[in-house]
Amino acid sequence: MESARPPGDRVRVIRYAAALVTLAATLIVAGFTTPAFVTYDNFLAIVRAASITGIVAVGMSFVTISGNFFALSAGQMAAFLGILFAVATVAGLGVPAAILLTIATAILAGILQGMVINVIGNPIITTIAFGAVFGGLAAFMSGNTLIRVHDDAALAALRFGTARPLGIPTQSWAFFALALLSWFAIRTTRVGRLITLSGASPAAAAASGLPVGLSSVIAMVIFSCGPAIVAIFSVAQFSLAKADQFSGLDIDAIASVLVGGVALRGGQGSPVQAALGALLIAVLQNFMLLRGLTAGERMTIVGLVVVIAVAGFHLAQGRRR
Amino acid sequence: MNLSAPNRDIVLRALLLVLVYLVLAWWVPNFRTPSGLAALLDAAVLTGLVAIGVGLTMIAGEMDLSVGSMAAIAGVLAIQFISAGVPLLPALLAVVLTAAIVGAIQGLLIHLLNINSLIFTIGTLIGFRGLALMLAHESTQTLPIDKLSIADSVSGHFGVLSPLSVTLVLAFLAVGFFASRTVWGREIYAIGGGRTEARSAGVSLRRPLVIAFSCSAGMAALGGALLSIRSGGATPLGYNSVLLDAVAACLIGGIALRGGRGGLAGIFVGLLTLRVVVSGVASLGAPFWAQTLASGLLLILVITGESISRTIMRRRHWHRTATAQG
Repeated sequence: MESARPPGDRVRVIRYAAALVTLAATLIVAGFTTPAFVTYDNFLAIVRAASITGIVAVGMSFVTISGNFFALSAGQMAAFLGILFAVATVAGLGVPAAILLTIATAILAGILQGMVINVIGNPIITTIAFGAVFGGLAAFMSGNTLIRVHDDAALAALRFGTARPLGIPTQSWAFFALALLSWFAIRTTRVGRLITLSGASPAAAAASGLPVGLSSVIAMVIFSCGPAIVAIFSVAQFSLAKADQFSGLDIDAIASVLVGGVALRGGQGSPVQAALGALLIAVLQNFMLLRGLTAGERMTIVGLVVVIAVAGFHLAQGRRR
Repeated sequence: MNLSAPNRDIVLRALLLVLVYLVLAWWVPNFRTPSGLAALLDAAVLTGLVAIGVGLTMIAGEMDLSVGSMAAIAGVLAIQFISAGVPLLPALLAVVLTAAIVGAIQGLLIHLLNINSLIFTIGTLIGFRGLALMLAHESTQTLPIDKLSIADSVSGHFGVLSPLSVTLVLAFLAVGFFASRTVWGREIYAIGGGRTEARSAGVSLRRPLVIAFSCSAGMAALGGALLSIRSGGATPLGYNSVLLDAVAACLIGGIALRGGRGGLAGIFVGLLTLRVVVSGVASLGAPFWAQTLASGLLLILVITGESISRTIMRRRHWHRTATAQG
């Protein structure tokens, strides 16, 4: 791999550099202009926000690398899985079994979405439709009320949601671990190479006998685990679940993948870029919040950053679709 | 029957609509009355108007994801204009024109950057939603009491028709004529059906892309503005799920995911099919979440069913030609 660098390598350096420079610039500006930004509590807030978005974004980057752009079902899937986890815990299933059930359901949801993507060939429409189904199921299972975990034994088992080993929230440890694991998986494993090659050129991959359809399914399964993990952590942290809990998750995760510079043509990029993007979005959001920007102003700026990032990376790539 | 393939396709889809209607009319007595039908059409206005525009971008082989946010901006602006004393029609015109210009710029940028419209419009989906929040100062905008007569004037009925459903039907007729009978409309089909062929035949991508995206923003704005005025208020976070319904109407109506195939008549049939199912589920007493669940499931069923049947047809066709030759 080292001897034959792919031709997109220069562009990849530009992509990493762009995300890093923007992140550094935001940190410097925020640090010098906003005293509240450089406190330990705020650091924790940023890291935790980045972790929630980042766990989903890292999973989403597999979808992007496999050539399927992005998925629009993350928020509704997280809401559904969170309610499933909370309901299972309240029903007395026990936390470990509830976690297994949630992850298994997520994997099933990923397989279904991947299969439908293969049949109809459009990941966006597939995930919009599945998002509606998950949203409906979430409202159905919760009866549109809060699901609270009261049981003392369950609450004790859920303490990992608020724990801070070595002063850093568990969510963030999970985020770092998943980002490293994903980077390792995409670079060194057969599945990673299958996803990368199928994304780079589905026709060439199919002609070489690679199971291209399987790569979309695997990518969607990996993606679906992100919302499951986020949902479990969220229930553990707040001891409750509700149907409209993750409304901004899709947008933040997609923005992270796009701003981080994962190439949307597929076949290039790494989950680390998505993780970097999540960090950048979290820092930016936090800075804007501290400066007292309204929700509308923050959203407009994030949208603008996404459009500029997408257009910029696209031009750097040489305008090919 | 000696019908051409596109005509046979739409007849089949219309038969499906009639079938779905008859099944639900069996259960829901309200569906059998003229006023029930009028309510059906009224409830289809927002989805229908948005579907016209999104359908055009899909025919062009692209897709505008930003329509929901655009409808929210339009709703907020329309309420603010009318509250400020602008009469109904100038207010609507101003909102729709502004949106159409923004949409045209969006189409132009997509053309100039030669960028995938799904990726570009996910950015504007976020940005426009933020703008809607900013314009509304983060709060729900409502019409003052002395302007509520304007809301009433929009929601009145003459016979089974309301001003809104008439607007919907007129919009379908106008855009349908434009898309199928004018050169500029055929260009949209051309760049969707075979972009490489269209380009080598000398069709520029710029005009069709600008028109399709301008139309999709304008139609979304018209829908958002009309619905907000009718309900007397607009929330900047509204119209979130309209994209799903509009895309569902288009796909049920036979718009091809790859572009170039399908038409406005098909979208209308698809829209009615979707609304019959969703309203049917609603009037059977199912809670609101069942409606999103129904449109999501319907969409998945229709698109997978269609893809699978297409594959089977193609195989059979291939077999037939293979045996004929062998």
